Amino acid sequence: MSNSYHFPILPGPDTPKVTINVDNVDVQVPDGTNLVEALKTIGIETPHFCYHPDLPLAGNCRQCMIETDGPRGLGLAIACYTPVRAGMKVATDRSSEKVKKARAAVMEFQLANHPLDCPICDKAGECTLQENYMKVGNGESRVREEIGKAYHGNPDHRFTDSKGQDRGGKHVDLGPTVVLDEERCILCDRCTRFMRDVAGSEQLYIADRGDRAYITVFPGTQLDHAYDLNVTDICPVGALTAKHFRFQSRVWFLKKTDSIVPDDSLGANVTIDHHEGKVARLMPRRNGAVNKSWISNASRLTYQALSENRLVRGRADGHDISLEDAFAKAGMLLSKARKVALVASGHLTNEDNAGLLALAAQLGTKAEVFGGSWLEVGTPDGISRSGDPVANRKGLELLGIKDNLDDLARRASEFDVILIANNDLWGASPEKARALDAIAQRIVLSPWSNATTAKATLVVGIRAWAEVRGTMVNCNGRIQLMQAAPTTPDERLEPAWQLLSRLAGERWSSEIDAWKAAAAKAPALAGVTYRTIGRQGQQLETLA
Amino acid sequence: MSTFPKILTGNFGKGAADIGVYKSLGGYSNLGPKLFSTSQFEMIDIVQRSGLRGRGGAGFPTGMKWSFVPRNTGKPVYLVVNADEGEPGTFKDHFLMLEDPHKLIEGMILCGWALGARTAYIYVRGEFLNCIESLNKAINQAYEAGYLGKNIAGSNYSFDIYVHRGAGAYICGEETALISSLEGRKGQPRLKPPFPAVSGAWASPTCVNNVETLMAVPWIFENGPEAYAKLGTPKSPGTKVFSVSGDVKRPGVYEVPLGIPMMELLESPDYCQGLVGTMKGCIPGGSSTPVLTPEETAKVTLDYEAMAAAGTMLGSGAVIPFNTQRSVVGMLKTLTHFYSHESCGQCTPCRDGTGYADRVLDTVVDGHGRDGDLDLLVDLANNFNGATICPLSAADAAPIINFVKKYRSEFEAVVAKNPKRDEPRLDAHFRPGGFW
Repeated sequence: MSNSYHFPILPGPDTPKVTINVDNVDVQVPDGTNLVEALKTIGIETPHFCYHPDLPLAGNCRQCMIETDGPRGLGLAIACYTPVRAGMKVATDRSSEKVKKARAAVMEFQLANHPLDCPICDKAGECTLQENYMKVGNGESRVREEIGKAYHGNPDHRFTDSKGQDRGGKHVDLGPTVVLDEERCILCDRCTRFMRDVAGSEQLYIADRGDRAYITVFPGTQLDHAYDLNVTDICPVGALTAKHFRFQSRVWFLKKTDSIVPDDSLGANVTIDHHEGKVARLMPRRNGAVNKSWISNASRLTYQALSENRLVRGRADGHDISLEDAFAKAGMLLSKARKVALVASGHLTNEDNAGLLALAAQLGTKAEVFGGSWLEVGTPDGISRSGDPVANRKGLELLGIKDNLDDLARRASEFDVILIANNDLWGASPEKARALDAIAQRIVLSPWSNATTAKATLVVGIRAWAEVRGTMVNCNGRIQLMQAAPTTPDERLEPAWQLLSRLAGERWSSEIDAWKAAAAKAPALAGVTYRTIGRQGQQLETLA
Repeated sequence: MSTFPKILTGNFGKGAADIGVYKSLGGYSNLGPKLFSTSQFEMIDIVQRSGLRGRGGAGFPTGMKWSFVPRNTGKPVYLVVNADEGEPGTFKDHFLMLEDPHKLIEGMILCGWALGARTAYIYVRGEFLNCIESLNKAINQAYEAGYLGKNIAGSNYSFDIYVHRGAGAYICGEETALISSLEGRKGQPRLKPPFPAVSGAWASPTCVNNVETLMAVPWIFENGPEAYAKLGTPKSPGTKVFSVSGDVKRPGVYEVPLGIPMMELLESPDYCQGLVGTMKGCIPGGSSTPVLTPEETAKVTLDYEAMAAAGTMLGSGAVIPFNTQRSVVGMLKTLTHFYSHESCGQCTPCRDGTGYADRVLDTVVDGHGRDGDLDLLVDLANNFNGATICPLSAADAAPIINFVKKYRSEFEAVVAKNPKRDEPRLDAHFRPGGFW
């Protein structure tokens, strides 16, 4: 465990550039930054295990060896602990045989005590050790069969290698979410640093020393932090695996779709990993301005709801009906209505809410738009959650939709039809929502069966967040883009914007049209396009 | 043999662990107006001019080390005494602390004054229970006599000393690991920079000195740096305490001026009184220093420069000559086992490399050595040599490389006893083109 608390200095957009000499070529790199990151900016990948851009530096894996000019002349140094200085000379394995040999040597040491059980290892395919081995390894092993390591793991699950040698703690249960396979651990120290310096709860530590060292929890305790699943992401080998994903899928089958997880208004960036129309897991996607590399366990497990309790059809008066029938019935109810309450949602994208506004415009004076949420707002945890469960609250504000649900409850008797777009009012506050029972026709658009759909007179199924493309504005005024993963349980389900725009009689052909409608409503979105938002989102200057 | 002042061991056998005896031998005489009218910079200058070098092993100039400690940072300055004597073969600090603890305390006060430190820690190796007892007793006596605590010796300078008992880890003799351990963390070396002088214990300026180094300071202050510089050689001035063990007639702790021939230490009637048997080699400065052959031992003198010229190090002054009855293979096995066991487990090359090398040597010792094992051993040692945060990997590599280089025929003879020595290194099914 390193006792050094320095986080790496990462290149920013405004970092001034200086000239350094890499492999006998003068290049421009961001000044003062971590050399691993600086080399990345010019397209040179440095193999590493312990280094992580969002963890304090440890410098213990020694894999990122480079040659640089130090006080004693050109010599080996670790790139992760070498800051960029103007005029410095750096030799990577592309020009230096010494670096090549040093990296191969470190790789040999890593593998000396690592079981080659890749075929049964859950990390295979996204294992840093595999990747780095292919880049810098020797190619052929000279490690002899009797060279093995002894572990002191869970006595019930000891692992024996092909020679019948006892190889230690297998399937060690660290807590409710994470399993440890000790024999694969390369002691890079990332997980303990994450728990100590990011999660702020030192639940993991490295016991013993030398090659007998192993990761463990303190006696009588377990790994049960709200962020502990992140250790399975940063584990460069298959030592720490997540119970919810372990042995569920081979990672090379998974296709990745960029999105944001809409259970919190910080909008943590994730990729949706899916295979054959099913979401297999959510993985954090690094965004230095939002969630760094971390997501909470709660956010990570939101994907499980995507295949539970889904509404794939419509429902009227307790009977399932087809989606088209439900649509037609909704259109009829709205056209006959005397006064309509349209409830927008902070759980929907800006595009969806633009659809609702288009419907309001079409219905004219008999429609009134309400928004907001009765969910309780918590406090930020300083990592990847703001505490506000309404992900797109800022987006509602931008579109001019007020937080006025209490007003709606008070004036419920004025309306004869209410259309609720994916806003679980009865789930959030049954007491406050009780007033809405007075409205005769309650149309609910929802991806899931919930307390609100139970109260509805007409339910229309829609696509869930993972299945739609659209934008949300996070609590800091950063607009972020979600891409649609092809995981919808039924292709006939529509995104909310499409359903609403059809009810409004608009001919929007894609979410781009919906976005244009949304952007037209909000001055802050002037000049913003999906392209400018990109994968990392865009800070809206007027909200900064 | 020339006569010289016994700066460090002069009080041995006189009961100087008691403050009354220590004072009657001239102790604590430095703690007077002369000290408190000497500025911090003058004090550092005195030590710099004396040429005193760190006695822990590296031989870094002490005065220069003190001058690196920044002043007026708004943080306290800590003095930490490294008494975690762990290098195999070294036992000088043990006796110095046991026999003359007050001299260490006096040296610490002088150093503390030079650094502007108010608090000092003595990090004592856990096994040295008698040293801890002796130090605690001496410190209590010094507090009672007014040499420690508030306003020492009537001045307005206050200085406190705490004894911290380590847990016996070799690596805690490395200064940053020692600081980590002192802070209550796992004793693992830290990345440098920042150096301890800038950010050490509790992220404050910290000076870590060896016991023997500080014990030379009272004499230097009393007799002047020039008198000290006259002893020894120009670049390695002063006297040094050597711990001699191994095949000599009278092993023990000997103080000699630096620069005398190694053979004088081993054969003089004043010191070791000669070797037992015929010398096969000599480890000159602790187990991590490269071994010397008898021819090299005969030529080398005991100073930092001559040792470096001979391709080895003066180190902590642990001289271990061994005779022809000793097996160098067995000796090296003892050392590789020690270093792989004491690796803190932080850096990959050291954690996995030292254990790997140890297990390869294990097979050789067990009679299962195969052709190429010696080359493998040396290649592994070269690969982890110095590739780590601290020098422990280098401390393991030096004996492996040098033992195998200088006594190769003996290693080969052990391998040759294995009738299956030419068997392929790998299992057939691990080889490309085999099982797959």
